[in-house]
Amino acid sequence: MSRKKAQKGKSGCASPSTAKDNNNRSGKSGLVTGVQANGVVHPSRASVSSSEFYDVAFKVMLVGDSGVGKTCLLVRFKDGAFLAGSFISTVGIDFRNKVLDIDGVKVKLQIWDTAGQERFRSVTHAYYRDAHALLLLYDVTNKASFDNIRAWLTEIHEYAQQDVVLMILGSKADASHDRTVRREEGERLAKEFGVPFMETSARSGLNVDLAFTAIAKELKHRSMKGDDEPKFKLHEYVNKEMKTTGCCRT
Amino acid sequence: MNLQVDYDSTEGDISNGNLSVDKYGFEHSEDFNPESYEIIMSEYLPVLTRRSEKWSQLLKENTKVQKNLKVKRYVRKGIPNKHRTMIWMASSGAQEHLQMNPGYYHSLLKIQHDPMLEESIRTDLHRTFPDNIQFHDSSQPCLLTALFNVLLAYGHHNKDVGYCQGMNFIAGYLLIITKDEEKSFWLMDALLGKILPDYYTPTMLGLKTDQDVLGELVKAKVPAVWQAMTQHNVMWGLVVSRWFICLYIDVLPMETVLRIWDCLFYEGSKILFRVALTLIRHHQKLILEGQNFPDICECFKRITHGEFVENCHAFMQNIFKEPGSLSTATVTKLREICRERIQAQDSG
Repeated sequence: MSRKKAQKGKSGCASPSTAKDNNNRSGKSGLVTGVQANGVVHPSRASVSSSEFYDVAFKVMLVGDSGVGKTCLLVRFKDGAFLAGSFISTVGIDFRNKVLDIDGVKVKLQIWDTAGQERFRSVTHAYYRDAHALLLLYDVTNKASFDNIRAWLTEIHEYAQQDVVLMILGSKADASHDRTVRREEGERLAKEFGVPFMETSARSGLNVDLAFTAIAKELKHRSMKGDDEPKFKLHEYVNKEMKTTGCCRT
Repeated sequence: MNLQVDYDSTEGDISNGNLSVDKYGFEHSEDFNPESYEIIMSEYLPVLTRRSEKWSQLLKENTKVQKNLKVKRYVRKGIPNKHRTMIWMASSGAQEHLQMNPGYYHSLLKIQHDPMLEESIRTDLHRTFPDNIQFHDSSQPCLLTALFNVLLAYGHHNKDVGYCQGMNFIAGYLLIITKDEEKSFWLMDALLGKILPDYYTPTMLGLKTDQDVLGELVKAKVPAVWQAMTQHNVMWGLVVSRWFICLYIDVLPMETVLRIWDCLFYEGSKILFRVALTLIRHHQKLILEGQNFPDICECFKRITHGEFVENCHAFMQNIFKEPGSLSTATVTKLREICRERIQAQDSG
């Protein structure tokens, strides 16, 4: 196992681990075009851990009330699996990794899953400032979790980086019988705060990959400033790619 | 001799010959390796037999469990399952409280339920041990009602704490071992009220303090790891909060957790640091190979798996050797310092 990359920089703030930590801008070749601008150029991959290579890594946090389905969403994304009733409540903070290929760049998302119970916020908000992106979830079958979104946003604005990538997700969208929050309500709230929004379902897989891919794309584009390619527009991308639960849509 | 082995190894076995679950009712995890388990058990069973005989002799000679060096040594070498409830109850003071407060537990269940408390417990009820057959709705007996009762009673009993996620796992383990709601309640009370600092209160100050105390201990005992953590800005809470809140449940293998709890009930919360320091010190080379934040985080997950922790008897011997001396005075002092520091930060 060759661990070629030597990191010296202090990664105190929310900057992608590879892009900032790698002081060695000695990438002479253009082997991985597009990544060069960041100083993340390597004939061999940037970092190797758990047998997975990646060029650049970002920290994503999942937040929202207890029981809204943060872990379910993450496992669906990570393993493509949904097993009803197979999850244990998340205590404290836990993470799972997934490497995505975004336009030829291996983007590693380190996704931090947090306990939703209120008292844990005093423990977890310390980590908000290190997050590059936050996915804020509410449960469309639980009105209280939706009503708490404003409180979560206040918390996020207080503790997270100003330029954190934020998205609101209405989870369990497949549960049409138990739904208590209409999609329009979610849209309206998200619009009010200028945050991209979509409904997801870990059970059906609706928009699960999209939520994480959109974030990875946004973060990857941001970390590649100076590139010639046009600016990535997260809002537009989400609105274009998003699917809805309606039966008549194709 | 063989009979004895069989007896103790199947003591409390609820698997009923179901090979896909262990004797506590947990489904084997994906990385369960029957062969390496067999090897570990073939070494551990004679130990269990010997310990079982020793304990039987000790309990024959003493009607009351006294705290002395001999018993402490016995506890560190493991309490046989059949005596576990009794020794936990006696050494933690839970037995005394139960006897002094007859009917108290049941009275807590009869008072008007706090709806907020009830809801937060219900949210976690089916998310406690979905991989344990005793916690399935359909199973007989089913521990879900008992779990709900113990947590509800505790929330009414200790209003400062109420219900905190993580307590569901602790109550679940207590029920699996004691098979008794009232005893589980009083053991829970001993843990949260006496043995552990204030981990579960709304400010979680005790938890934050102990995370920092561990950081200080690592700084003194495994400085290279402390340096790496600092350099890559990995906060201790990120990698160890579950270790403390869950008292190693779902972090380490169950048999190992029970052995840790033997000492936790008898000796107190210092044992939690011994375990953490052993894991970190033993794997320091691996941790130091981590070149960045994600690598190090992953490493902290990996070090809680594998033979080193599965071989619970050897692991428990290790925790009293590997980290070196760790006095109660040191832990007390560090807790004072760290707590003050956190309080100053929070108010500033």
